[in-house]
Amino acid sequence: MARKTRKYSEDVPFSLTSMMDMMTIILVFLIKNLDAEGQLITQAENLVLPISTSKVQAKEVSLSVVVDAGHVVVDNQKIVTTPDVMAQEDLLIAKVDSVLKLRRETEREHALKAGLPADEAGNIIIQIDKNIPYDVMYKVMATCGFSGYTNIAFAVNMKNGGEE
Amino acid sequence: MAKAIKKSGKVEEPDLLPAMGLFTILIPMLLSMTSFSKLAIVEVNLPERSMMQMDDQTPPPPDEQALNLSLAITDEYLVIGARGGFQPNVYFKEYWVFRCKSDGQLIKYAADDVKKAISSGSAPKCKDGSEMDKEKYIYDIESIELDMIEKTSEEDAGRLMWGIYTSQSEGQPDSVLVDGNNNFLALVGEGEGGANPPAALKKPGAGVGVATLAQNSARKLKPEDAAKLVVYPLSAYDEISKQLIQIHTAFIDLEDVDNIIIVANDNVQFDKIIQLMDRAKSAGFVKVNLAKLGG
Repeated sequence: MARKTRKYSEDVPFSLTSMMDMMTIILVFLIKNLDAEGQLITQAENLVLPISTSKVQAKEVSLSVVVDAGHVVVDNQKIVTTPDVMAQEDLLIAKVDSVLKLRRETEREHALKAGLPADEAGNIIIQIDKNIPYDVMYKVMATCGFSGYTNIAFAVNMKNGGEE
Repeated sequence: MAKAIKKSGKVEEPDLLPAMGLFTILIPMLLSMTSFSKLAIVEVNLPERSMMQMDDQTPPPPDEQALNLSLAITDEYLVIGARGGFQPNVYFKEYWVFRCKSDGQLIKYAADDVKKAISSGSAPKCKDGSEMDKEKYIYDIESIELDMIEKTSEEDAGRLMWGIYTSQSEGQPDSVLVDGNNNFLALVGEGEGGANPPAALKKPGAGVGVATLAQNSARKLKPEDAAKLVVYPLSAYDEISKQLIQIHTAFIDLEDVDNIIIVANDNVQFDKIIQLMDRAKSAGFVKVNLAKLGG
């Protein structure tokens, strides 16, 4: 019993070399994937974005519209269900249009206060699930155009994570 | 003297604790700044207000010098139109490639077969025999492939075309190979519907000159690249890419040579639109407009 106690109380040198190796590998991997510019778009939940060869990055923070299998979401607010959009005949989605017009008006007021040109076209980024039918996408895009957001861009995932 | 030699032979370990402390601070910081899936944007052009026509206005006469290029996609084929004429239809069969959650393996099924299976109460099966979730299988689609079909007539069911592709991983195709005349290294498949790769389609060996559809891609195959080549169904997107590149080069002097209108059916998935926009932009058509078929 006494022998056992003595064994555990010995001052055993702890080797950090293997831990250092692991840390170095992790560090190199993280530096390789480092995005120093940051991301201006955050991928929404519940949707899979299509993969594209595009490498164009968003230049500024823009209003975001998300279309998944369930809802059309403007600025994190569920506005209308996607099946309802699919079922309607009109090109214009009235509920989305009214929300976007309000947002556009606010943007114009802010631009005027800041002494910037207020009549420029609004920027909008649309995140659409890759399996959403073209009909829904076209109606959302047309509604954005009607509301004054004519600089439209679709968010996509870069092919191979943006690597060559 | 013997004692001195013994002393210098003893290796003293450096104190790694400060370095460990530094690493422990650096790693969480870098982890917060790292992005594992990078997002990009694809810009699309809406018609300018001044270009829009009201119902009571007579439309301007069509510009006969303009290219007026359009690319239409239906459930069965892709077709390019310009100056009131059309290229031959590029027929395709749609396949869905799934990434199974159970084993992480890729499986490929014809879209029609999956729809039939779902309507009859079953779901696509993975390689390990497990069934995918009937409700959420659509979210496991990794890619939608449009495999080109050669048809002799409208009524003909057609046979799959097979081409030679470079591959990066898992035998998945990357870029299709073309010869010196910009023709695909491709043949019609064998068996029913051309489902089997043609025996006559041989992969080029190391040292053979090949190219892809990308500019200045002609090169001699290295042994390691030749080993990675795969025979895979020819993509209808690649055929459209080739046609678009040829059109853009042939009409480079026209004023609207950078414009293209992508026209689609209501039920075409968004993924296909993005793939076509990608092909159009890489062929030089940077101003992409969208329109509805028959709308």
